[in-house]
Amino acid sequence: MQLGRVLFGALVAIGYFSSLSLAQIKIGVAEALTGNAAQYGVPIRKGFDLAVSEINGSGGINGQKIELVIEDEQGKKEEAINVFKKLIFQDKVLLLFGPTLSNSAQASDPVAQGAKVVVFGTSNTADGITSIGNFVFRNSVTEADIVPVTLKIAAQKTGLKKVAVLYGNDDIFTKSGYDNFKKALEALKIPVTTTETFAKGDVDFKPQLTKIKSSNPDAVVLSALIAEGAPAMVQSRQLGITLPFIGGNGMNSPKLFDLAKDNSDNLWVGSPWSIENPAAENKRFISAYQKAQNALPDQFAAQAYDAMYIVVQALKKVKLTGKLEVDRGALRDALPAAQITGATGAFKFRQATGKDGKPAGYDAVQTAIVMMTKGNQYVIQLNEATSRAGSTPRP
Amino acid sequence: MEWLETFWATYSTLVLSIGTNVLLALSIYLTLVCGLLTVANAAFMGIGAYTAALLSLHSGLPFYLSLMLGALLPAAVALLLGPPTLRLSGVYLAMATLAFGEIVRIFLLNSESLTGGALGLNGIPQHTQWFDVVVIVIAALYVLLRFSGSRIGRTMVAICQDEVATELMGLNVRAYKLFAFALGAGLAGLAGGLNAHFTFFISPNEYGFDRGVEILAMGVLGGTGSPWGAVIGGALITLLPELLRGLGNYRPLINGVILIVIILYSPKGIWDLTRFVRGKRAAAAN
Amino acid sequence: MHAQQLVNAISLGGVYALFALGFTLIFGVLNVVNLAHGAMFMLGAYTALQAVLFFKLPLAVAVLAAIVVTAGAGWLLDRFIFAPLRARQAPHLAPMIATIGLAISLNSTIQGLFGAENLRFPVHGLAAEGLRLGDVQITWLELQIILLAFLLMAVLLWWLMRTRMGTALRALAESRKAAALLGIDVEGLFRLTSVIASLLGGVAGVLIALYTNAVFPQMGQPMLHKGIAVVILGGMGDIRGALLGGFFLGCAEVFSVAYVGSTMRDAVAFGLLFAILLLRPQGLFGKAAQRRA
Repeated sequence: MQLGRVLFGALVAIGYFSSLSLAQIKIGVAEALTGNAAQYGVPIRKGFDLAVSEINGSGGINGQKIELVIEDEQGKKEEAINVFKKLIFQDKVLLLFGPTLSNSAQASDPVAQGAKVVVFGTSNTADGITSIGNFVFRNSVTEADIVPVTLKIAAQKTGLKKVAVLYGNDDIFTKSGYDNFKKALEALKIPVTTTETFAKGDVDFKPQLTKIKSSNPDAVVLSALIAEGAPAMVQSRQLGITLPFIGGNGMNSPKLFDLAKDNSDNLWVGSPWSIENPAAENKRFISAYQKAQNALPDQFAAQAYDAMYIVVQALKKVKLTGKLEVDRGALRDALPAAQITGATGAFKFRQATGKDGKPAGYDAVQTAIVMMTKGNQYVIQLNEATSRAGSTPRP
Repeated sequence: MEWLETFWATYSTLVLSIGTNVLLALSIYLTLVCGLLTVANAAFMGIGAYTAALLSLHSGLPFYLSLMLGALLPAAVALLLGPPTLRLSGVYLAMATLAFGEIVRIFLLNSESLTGGALGLNGIPQHTQWFDVVVIVIAALYVLLRFSGSRIGRTMVAICQDEVATELMGLNVRAYKLFAFALGAGLAGLAGGLNAHFTFFISPNEYGFDRGVEILAMGVLGGTGSPWGAVIGGALITLLPELLRGLGNYRPLINGVILIVIILYSPKGIWDLTRFVRGKRAAAAN
Repeated sequence: MHAQQLVNAISLGGVYALFALGFTLIFGVLNVVNLAHGAMFMLGAYTALQAVLFFKLPLAVAVLAAIVVTAGAGWLLDRFIFAPLRARQAPHLAPMIATIGLAISLNSTIQGLFGAENLRFPVHGLAAEGLRLGDVQITWLELQIILLAFLLMAVLLWWLMRTRMGTALRALAESRKAAALLGIDVEGLFRLTSVIASLLGGVAGVLIALYTNAVFPQMGQPMLHKGIAVVILGGMGDIRGALLGGFFLGCAEVFSVAYVGSTMRDAVAFGLLFAILLLRPQGLFGKAAQRRA
């Protein structure tokens, strides 16, 4: 009887203490899992899943496991706002990742900023996102940092003197890609023979390409997503245009080789991640992803994977008190200093300035890898060692 | 009450969206009653949103004034657009308004220096409060309910049934149609201004064909028998994705199926279903 | 360059015309704006793709499979959606809303089954090979599409004008009541129209998927917008109108890119549409007065 009570008390005590350490860290994920943007959101989610299963499998963070609370924001801005609010106020997550599209981020990130919760984008590359406030982070390198490097290297190696430009003018991603190309072309003093546009969902680019061909450029700058970029390349080859193409971030996807079969050579692309990058962390990521998903990863999965590890590194230094507001603030304070070497290479943060000139959110600092497609592969042309890869100061 | 605070923090955007969607459905209600099939209300919403947002961002005008101007500009455009287009009927009117909508969208996309083009306008101050939406919706509903019962409302129904006969009776059909069109445009512009001020960010692609069709669906689904139909339609279309959230990847599928089922079993809209209740009450009152 | 742009215009026009044929047929006969036509288009493409990828069938058989599947879908569309709405005397917008629901359902089903990314037909060789006529480049596939658009139109016109069933269909399009009084099997004809229109959409889907090398769940949406414009330009419900409207829109788009500027392309196209609606609302071939019996 006495023994029984002692044992019972001991069991309760053990249970209590072990339940404390078994409390999970809730992390929210708001990505586009249905709708048009799902082709980016789904690989992003898979990248997170892989990272979390690896981290939890090796004991978690200071003994605590990560619990992902995943919501579908459908690629729509109102949905992104709703989902953010649910994750922050109802699920009470520690921080959240997402959303998928820059458009949605512009609408939903202010919600996180106002609620003082870290929001970490892995695929938002447009302007005006990290300037929202100091709780906004992203590890997706913007075109402003990559494009000048790509252009410089491509110009050097192809000897081009003038280019034509083709871009999608109704999508925030391709449009801001174009803005960055324009700035970089002016900085490098490369004249533009003609500028043509297309819209999302277009299937026929021959009028624009014909005009481009007759303006006699040495190369064609293409700011597009694969859905339009691949047919554009195919049709240009069909029209007899054999010039090199210089693409923005959207063209960095192995899907190109399938969609533009036999017509995918001679495309220059810059990106922080390359499937050909032989670095050890990258190779490990690629094979782990292949085993888990039975498919090759793309840059979206890679960036999501690394983003989770960045957060984990910061969390390791934070003592979680269990009081939500305190913990959320502690995470925000610890995150800017996080540095890792992941699948996308060496990474660290750089603070951006807000609209009012005061310091705001955090952008990615990573080296760009410039590649050219050849024989169904992205062949690395240059792996720049310097970190601030020729970026121009942004307002 | 903590429960209320959490609820509001999580669902405030949803509630405000219901309000603006109801306004949009009401904006198209009047034109539907007149038999006018217009898809232009999405474009009017866009004009209103951009006007109000630009005024908020760049001029010092108070919120309510920006909102008013955001409602007046689309109404003015509608008054200009109306006379030539309202001569068309049926699907032709729908297509003309669709073309107009696309032209507006392209204009918004290409006037980068004014509207930011594809990059949109962001950082719009959060001025919309719940009472703004509630007051405006109730006001609009009240006005439209009064119309329905009044001579104006009955004239509009008559126009819908047989335009020629109505004209022969000496009523200025064109004026009524124009009135409905312009009032609808104003309401849509108001909804746009309100929406812009609680979503931080707007871009031209939100006011295109998809939105136009969605507004039409709200109107038809709710039913054109009464402004209450618009309320039902607007609320339903807004709530459906939220209610179906648990279904994950099947959400859009169920959304589409529900739309089909509702139309199949109540082609005149959901409001029509309540006529059984209303009919019985009227019979009992006699 | 001008010759090439002309060729571009004609082949783009062929693409649009092909899509619009089925769309205009449903409007002309059933009086419904079928916003699910884009989904039929997409369904045809995916059926053929799966036939080739999964069942390893040759392309010609895959096209037949697409025809069968979309014809069946058209039958189901009329049997379970249009016919019940007709029976209930539904307001004329109701079927359109139902087709919106159908399009959403079909798009999300396909996306759930096959994913949201672009897929591609694994065919190369003859179809993609180019033909060089002087300064102009064109592929065999483009030529086929143009020829097929004309061929289908010719066949449809012949059928409408020269066969009993076609004549009955024209009577039906003119006045439902009169046709019924004449003893025509109205319901059967409606169903047949839905079947034919849907399979036309499916065939268009396969061809255009081959031409653009892109199969994705939302592929029908941009085509739908253009298709509506084509049908207005050419005259709602008229087969020749669909063809001419398609070429007209193709030319308008290509020439505005070539000579005005590509940013204004859609503005020009819709501006034209708007102008035509104001000046000649019935389009190039439509009937002047729209009477509904």
